[in-house]
Amino acid sequence: METVGDSVPNGTAPPRTTLDIVKERFKEDEVILSIFDAYQIIGHEYTNRLLALVSSASGGTFAIIAFSYLRTPPLTTVNELIINKVFAIDSSFQIRQDSMGSINTQQFDLSTAEDGPFKYYYFPTESSNYEDFHAKITSCQRSMAQYDPEAVLNFRWLNDYRQIGEVKQELKKRESEYIVYEDIHIFCATWNVNNKPCGDGENPLRSWLGHTAQPPDIYAIGLQELYAPAKAMAYEMVKTTQMGGIEKTWIDKIMASLHPDAKYEVLGTQRLVATMLTVIVRQQIRPQITRCRLKTVARGVFNALGNKGGVGISLQLNEGNLCFINSHLAAHMANVEERNADYNAIVQGMTFDDGRTISDHDHIFWVGDLNYRIQEPPGQQRPGPMSDAQTYELLLQYDQLRQEMQRGKCFEGYTEGDIKFRPTYKYDPGTDTYDSSEKQRAPAYCDRVLWKGTRIEQLAYNSIMEIRQSDHKPVYAVFRVKIKTRDAVKYKRVQEEVLKAVDKRENDNQPQINVEKTVIDFGSVRFNEPVTQNFTVFNNCPLPVDFSFKEKDIHAICEPWLHVDPRHDSLLIDSARSIRLKMHVSVRTIAGLLRKIRQSDNFDILILHVENGRDIFITVTGDYQPSCFGLSMETMCRTDRPLGEYTQEQIKQLINDDSPEYRVTMPREFFLLIDFLYKQGPKQEGAFPSYDSRQSLGSQFNLLRDWLDSWSDEPFPVNAETAAQALLLLLDLPEQALLEPFVEDLLTCSNKSRAMDYISLLSPPKRNVFMHLCMFLRAGIESQYYDLQQVASIFGRILLRSGECTAWMDYHSRCVQFMRLFIDNDMESLGNGNDGAGSGDRTAGLQA
Amino acid sequence: MAKKTYDLLFKLLLIGDSGVGKTCILFRFSDDAFTSTFISTIGIDFKIKTVELRGKKIKLQIWDTAGQERFHTITTSYYRGAMGIMLVYDITNEKSFENIVKWLRNIDEHANEDVEKMILGNKCDMTDKRVVNKERGEAIAREHGIRFMETSAKSNINIERAFCELAEAILDKTSGRESAENPERVIIDRRNNEKAPGYSKCCA
Repeated sequence: METVGDSVPNGTAPPRTTLDIVKERFKEDEVILSIFDAYQIIGHEYTNRLLALVSSASGGTFAIIAFSYLRTPPLTTVNELIINKVFAIDSSFQIRQDSMGSINTQQFDLSTAEDGPFKYYYFPTESSNYEDFHAKITSCQRSMAQYDPEAVLNFRWLNDYRQIGEVKQELKKRESEYIVYEDIHIFCATWNVNNKPCGDGENPLRSWLGHTAQPPDIYAIGLQELYAPAKAMAYEMVKTTQMGGIEKTWIDKIMASLHPDAKYEVLGTQRLVATMLTVIVRQQIRPQITRCRLKTVARGVFNALGNKGGVGISLQLNEGNLCFINSHLAAHMANVEERNADYNAIVQGMTFDDGRTISDHDHIFWVGDLNYRIQEPPGQQRPGPMSDAQTYELLLQYDQLRQEMQRGKCFEGYTEGDIKFRPTYKYDPGTDTYDSSEKQRAPAYCDRVLWKGTRIEQLAYNSIMEIRQSDHKPVYAVFRVKIKTRDAVKYKRVQEEVLKAVDKRENDNQPQINVEKTVIDFGSVRFNEPVTQNFTVFNNCPLPVDFSFKEKDIHAICEPWLHVDPRHDSLLIDSARSIRLKMHVSVRTIAGLLRKIRQSDNFDILILHVENGRDIFITVTGDYQPSCFGLSMETMCRTDRPLGEYTQEQIKQLINDDSPEYRVTMPREFFLLIDFLYKQGPKQEGAFPSYDSRQSLGSQFNLLRDWLDSWSDEPFPVNAETAAQALLLLLDLPEQALLEPFVEDLLTCSNKSRAMDYISLLSPPKRNVFMHLCMFLRAGIESQYYDLQQVASIFGRILLRSGECTAWMDYHSRCVQFMRLFIDNDMESLGNGNDGAGSGDRTAGLQA
Repeated sequence: MAKKTYDLLFKLLLIGDSGVGKTCILFRFSDDAFTSTFISTIGIDFKIKTVELRGKKIKLQIWDTAGQERFHTITTSYYRGAMGIMLVYDITNEKSFENIVKWLRNIDEHANEDVEKMILGNKCDMTDKRVVNKERGEAIAREHGIRFMETSAKSNINIERAFCELAEAILDKTSGRESAENPERVIIDRRNNEKAPGYSKCCA
């Protein structure tokens, strides 16, 4: 049954599937067998990945390519895929269901010998069917295991995906814009020299190698049966003994016989026993050759001795890859199969060090004594020296090489030019006469030049009759090859554009978040009154973003009076998060805040860091409403109005003022607290329960704070306990202890008059506060409202607060001892009594 | 991620008073664009730009800092990782030039000792508003042994040159340290042959 509503509107292309898009990323001979959506698990992070199972026809192998997304899926164009990992499905490849994972049924990992394991996770949905994906991988692995070990399989196709930077990927895509083709003349030659010397004279081979109209750019000269004494046939022996000299003699003669109109140098020469391949290049193109590798494949006796076999040279000229092979295949009329086997063995064995095989080249030239013979018809095999083209054509019908090639037994994909010359074998040395010996070997086209690849045009193919010392005639072929070359100017332009585009993409895709505001103003901030502000961060960039508040020099993300929540988080696209910032000027943080205010206009600057992106500075400000708590006695003595009437800026000036002039002898706030407590009489009993009591502020505290900071005319608002607590704080909160800078001196002097010397050196406000306090405590102790030991301990540690001395073993007892000098009525008589308040009426000074 | 698209990564920092044009210089260099609207940088932004110097692809990661006074302390914590610092003043703003000394002191205190520095006198297109002549810029640079250039992000004067020169100076230092690593060398495998003249010639 047809559904009407499903029809696609006319003219609209059907939407492209993810598979369609991913396909664009691969070459024509690569097939995507399956794609699978997963997340890679890195630490605790889950990152989107697209896994593609791909098979390559050219390599005959499989691989999984893991892509990361430049943008959050779904995919819209192929450019959003970045290759993240490449897993070749070779013998070391493993896919493992991860039983250790917390969500084990949906977790698996992939590994190869070089890499991994990498952990992946998936949602079991219809679109990503893990069972199917897994089954396909398993079947790839199985077919991998069944490969014929002799088969030519490789993973070289993966190199285009592996470790290839974005720039290179992009440059490859735009190759057509800067690639031009340059004509190169290549002269390929082969000669079985029949163990004979190369000939006399300066350039004995010129008629073979140096006769072309135009000097070739590259020579590839293959020789076979270089002089080798039979007993020195063993490869190693030959290598180290006489052959070196012979090789050099030949190369020297070859060099002397090259085209006279150009300068040449040997790029590489490779010899296998008596088979040698030499590649010679014009000096002027030498700098364009960026790679050259050599390789031999031994055949012959036991398929190893190397009396037969092949040598190869692989090189890269500009952007073109060239391969030259010289081979000497099995001899004798009947050994066609052996020749085919030799050929196949050379193809399989000829893998250069960089992993390149013969077929991985753009242009391949194969020369050599291939030894294929002419089988029929007898009587036609001895054409006269002047035989015409028809005769050669007739002979070639019976040429084993052409027959075998036609049957697909060897040289698949290779081409050979028309042969318009006499069979090159076998002559009576020194003559142009075919074998007249007893054996009467049939003439044959043993010596051939074949090619495979693109943009190759043969210009000549011939033999040289007049070089006669061997029983073979030398053969040559000239080719014009169009070599892929970068146009330097165009390439530079394209590369610049690519770099720019890649940079731009990276800049544009930088994770970004927006903040609602970069200045967080708390407004009025007061001591002991926490306030909070919220601000929003939102992600409107096309990627999920991680953000965090960065630690600063102080190894914290913010000053102690601030609290940030959350400190870090992830934001999906188009999502927002509210950040809660709490400010609490507490007993613990007031000193630091006042210090900060002295130097700065803000409470703090937070660094909001976007992972892989920018940092945003968030300035935290507000008006700190000054209070007496935390201020030094000196500062309080400089005030001319209630602290509540000061602004933050005014208090900053007041704090920074260090003139010795004071408006009052002791802080009014301090005086009022003492006055209140004193007047409480017995109600003040036990008002100082412990040293720690100064920390936990009761609910009544802020009433007292406001009363003090406003110079209120209202009655004292709180009870004795709260007043006592406030007194302790007033003395304890300032940055500097009341008895600084003499704390250490005072702790070490046991005698009251020495102590008094120091006390008298204190600033007047501090001195007055100290004396007034001692008087008050003495009175309280005398009336037995307070326990001497207890208040000595509490006040000692506050007045003599010290970072360094606290570490002393007897710090605490010294504090008590010191206080006792001043508040112990029994010890009072021991002092000299010059405390200004007089000992006669100790309470006189406490009267308001 | 198999995504390395460069041979070297240099981290550069732009510092200087607020409004001297640090962000514009960076914007001109990375996007080849200019906007005259002033948007104060509140934090640290960065952009990347890959340049090719002496055959090497060098990825410059350029950090643009907030110039506002209140951020000076906090931005000094970013000096440490920088390999090069561009110290920018505005030729139409005397104060920004006077502050160069202060910025140099900041660099001394907080940056790596071997950081490459360059002073830029920006807005050199605004000739009618110029208050700091070129000689004064050159003099202070000479005094401290630093490179100097007058630039204009608006008219695209010397922007590219300045970054490339700074990067080149860093490259000079770096290349002394790292061993010459050239992936494109010719390797001729000659395992079966003795040395013959001409084989050893390699090209890059």
